[in-house]
Amino acid sequence: MFNLIKKDLVIQKSQILLFIPFIMFFAIFGDHMSPFFIFLISSLYIPLNGYIYDEQVESNILLNSLPYLRKEIVAAKYIGSVVYMILSIVVASIILYIFDFSFTFRDVAIAAGLFFIFTAVAFPLFYVLKPGYIGVAALSGLVVFAILLSPVLEFIEKHLTSITEFITSLSTTALYLSGAAISIGLFLVSWIVSQMIYQRKVF
Amino acid sequence: MNNVIELRSISKEFKEFSFDSIDLQIKQGYTTGLIGANGTGKTTLIKLIMNLLKPDEGEVRLFGLDYATHEKSIKDRIGFVFDSNIFYESLKLKDISRIIAPAYTQWDSDQFQAYVDRFELPLNKPIKHFSKGMQMKASIALALSHHAELIIMDEPTAGLDPTFRRELLDIFQEEMLNENRSIFFSTHTTSDLERFADYIVLIDQGEILFHERMDELQEKYVLVKGSNELLDRDTEAYFVHIERTQNLFQALTTDPAQVQQVFGEYVVLEKASLDDIMFHMKAAHRQQLNK
Repeated sequence: MFNLIKKDLVIQKSQILLFIPFIMFFAIFGDHMSPFFIFLISSLYIPLNGYIYDEQVESNILLNSLPYLRKEIVAAKYIGSVVYMILSIVVASIILYIFDFSFTFRDVAIAAGLFFIFTAVAFPLFYVLKPGYIGVAALSGLVVFAILLSPVLEFIEKHLTSITEFITSLSTTALYLSGAAISIGLFLVSWIVSQMIYQRKVF
Repeated sequence: MNNVIELRSISKEFKEFSFDSIDLQIKQGYTTGLIGANGTGKTTLIKLIMNLLKPDEGEVRLFGLDYATHEKSIKDRIGFVFDSNIFYESLKLKDISRIIAPAYTQWDSDQFQAYVDRFELPLNKPIKHFSKGMQMKASIALALSHHAELIIMDEPTAGLDPTFRRELLDIFQEEMLNENRSIFFSTHTTSDLERFADYIVLIDQGEILFHERMDELQEKYVLVKGSNELLDRDTEAYFVHIERTQNLFQALTTDPAQVQQVFGEYVVLEKASLDDIMFHMKAAHRQQLNK
């Protein structure tokens, strides 16, 4: 299992060298961007790249010819993505701190929550999509996600006042806890779904 | 004698063909060659054996173990070579070996290094810059470096130059000196099999036409040549399949003694090559299917 998680790092060695300048770019030129979005993009960088690499060749045949269970291959993706998310956020925080880009713990929390929601939707799709479309799908998904996020939030704020009132009435701790519970819950459901899809997959 | 691979009444439907309750037992300690035309089920059969595809019905057992409960230990004992590149193309061979090595309990890095030296493979060059032959060599080096008891290969000699093909067959023969080891591989090149296979499985349209010992095969099947005039409804019955050219026919028989008795000196009996056997068996099978 650990080897499968490590594999995602090995296959994108050269891309990972680009990771730091990538975040530095945001830190320097992204002053109009919310810090949570920078965290979100950095946390998705390695997991999404991993899928994109995997679909380029028939890596499923390779992985399944090795002594791994299908269950482990999916688990490695989910556990690995959390590990890489945490590492990426740590690295991104250090870079943002160095470049004097102000951010709060709230930004990190929101990014992590959105990370769980995004991957919960995206990962099962990656197992269904035909190879060759994952890169495009991930990129367009992220763009749509970014574009829709603020209007959706605004819409909720304006028209669903009862919801916003309810949310603002919650204490910060309750808010964080329920947010974490929902996003992690979705992520776990997604894991089970992916596993079911992958078990039935034909290579 | 133990079976290293066992398929029990495997059924699987495809668009082009289907496996309908096929059985196959591959013996431990021997080299078995799988032959058949393109698109008739060789790769599919190998994928079923590797559990890359699951049968609709039936059971696949390797080393006497089933995939449902022993998948990891089964695959730990198999060296697998696929016919197209399944390695991450932008990676160097060194990195690929880093991914594969920890997966096996018995990975032998000295052995791997020995094959890399022997095949003159560059460790620090991305796989995508390897020629087809070099990719195959890399794939074989990786498959042979973890003391696998069973080597499964899909078209391992395709795309290789004749010199290396011969070298490769020698390597397989060396590997087979280890008594417990078995090799199961598919090929187009029947000369590969004539050189070193112990058993031959012929497959067509998802059906196993025969599974026989190489030496018995060449005793059993005989090629008969003669004039077309000799053929009529009664005499045609002695042949598996007949190929007619202008005045002459060439046919395959499994009963040379009878043929000799009936036709006497009017026909010539010749040793059938594996190509001849494959050609006539396939044609006969297609005729039967079309009836």
